[in-house]
Amino acid sequence: MNTIKNHPSDELLTSYSAASLPLSQALCVSVHLESCDECARKLQRLNQVGSELMRQLKPSPPSPDLKSNLLEQLDSLVEDTENDRIEDIDKSVPRCLHQFIDKGFGEISWKRISRDIKSYELCRDQNNAKVELLRIRPGGTSSTHTHMGDEYTVILEGSFSDESGLYRRGDFLMRDSRHKHTPVATRDGECICLAVTEAPIQLTGFFGRLLNPLIRRSYVTG
Amino acid sequence: MGQKKSSTELTEKLKSCLESVAKHRDKNAFSTLFDHYAPQIRAYSLAREPGADLIADELAQEVMIRVWLKAESYNSKLANVNTWVFTLARNCRIDYLRRNGRFVSEIDPTEIFNDMEDEGPSPFEMVHQSRLEENIKDGLAQLPREQSEILFKVYLEGKSHQQTSEELKLPLGTVKSRVRLAVNKLKVLVAR
Repeated sequence: MNTIKNHPSDELLTSYSAASLPLSQALCVSVHLESCDECARKLQRLNQVGSELMRQLKPSPPSPDLKSNLLEQLDSLVEDTENDRIEDIDKSVPRCLHQFIDKGFGEISWKRISRDIKSYELCRDQNNAKVELLRIRPGGTSSTHTHMGDEYTVILEGSFSDESGLYRRGDFLMRDSRHKHTPVATRDGECICLAVTEAPIQLTGFFGRLLNPLIRRSYVTG
Repeated sequence: MGQKKSSTELTEKLKSCLESVAKHRDKNAFSTLFDHYAPQIRAYSLAREPGADLIADELAQEVMIRVWLKAESYNSKLANVNTWVFTLARNCRIDYLRRNGRFVSEIDPTEIFNDMEDEGPSPFEMVHQSRLEENIKDGLAQLPREQSEILFKVYLEGKSHQQTSEELKLPLGTVKSRVRLAVNKLKVLVAR
């Protein structure tokens, strides 16, 4: 996995370590971490910063019987084994997406967005960010667009390129309203990404402008 | 020097208590861990929810239950005990807040963060762990207030960059760059 060149920023990784970011963003970071050793190492050290900050707080003694009650309960405690369910999920699906996908990318009921793109909405987050999978056919392109809010993308399969470079499996991208880009999937295979969009994207090409009101409406009613 | 020595002794003591819990289900050792960590976990809860005493007790209890149940999965090569307990507390807190409707999200945080409590998918041995710990301690003490204040909000109060920027009336970019400066000074991101 040494091909990963695009990583979450230090400040985003810090928020992840603190668990103080919207969960939709955390989901993208988590997917990246599953395939990026370098960031996983950084995270371990950032967790240590968190533990030191916690240690420096003024300790607050618990209510008097909290410990005795807990000690009495210890023998009857059993671990919640919910997470040990047997999973029949394709290995290419990152672990943190198992909560949404129960087989593989092939079995999803994809929705056609354009000639080149299909999408599958996973959920909405607290800030109404849209969390979806995008599937771009080999050589396919998305319209040139800018963003009104931030967009987070992690590549799950295949690769794509835009004006700034080539992105492969595991690469993490953050785009905001300053960026204007035209992603194109490479010709050798389709590209599947996890994308989190915090506000409607703004299409900038001629047809894009015509389409904008429709997109905004579908974003709101989605 | 004396202080450093006693802090190493304490670290070793906590580690051996956790090992006793894992191997022998040792309740006395657990009791020592409780006395040490429960007040810290409460403080961590109160940093986010000031005055919420009951929630603080519940979080402390929840985290200590996980310590009891998950002691066996603790691996001292991956993290020191403090860091392990911090990740448990962080995960419990975010889970608790969501279950109690403090924020609404269709995403289950346990599926995102919990992997790291156990051996994650790609565990690394922490080399020079004690040196790193010293770096972080010294580094935190030397941070300018404007930077440590922001780390405090992000890590302990659980504030997003956006919330931090609103509260401190600072541009979002300034908040992000202060976080970046702070973690760079702590030298935690340098590969080695």
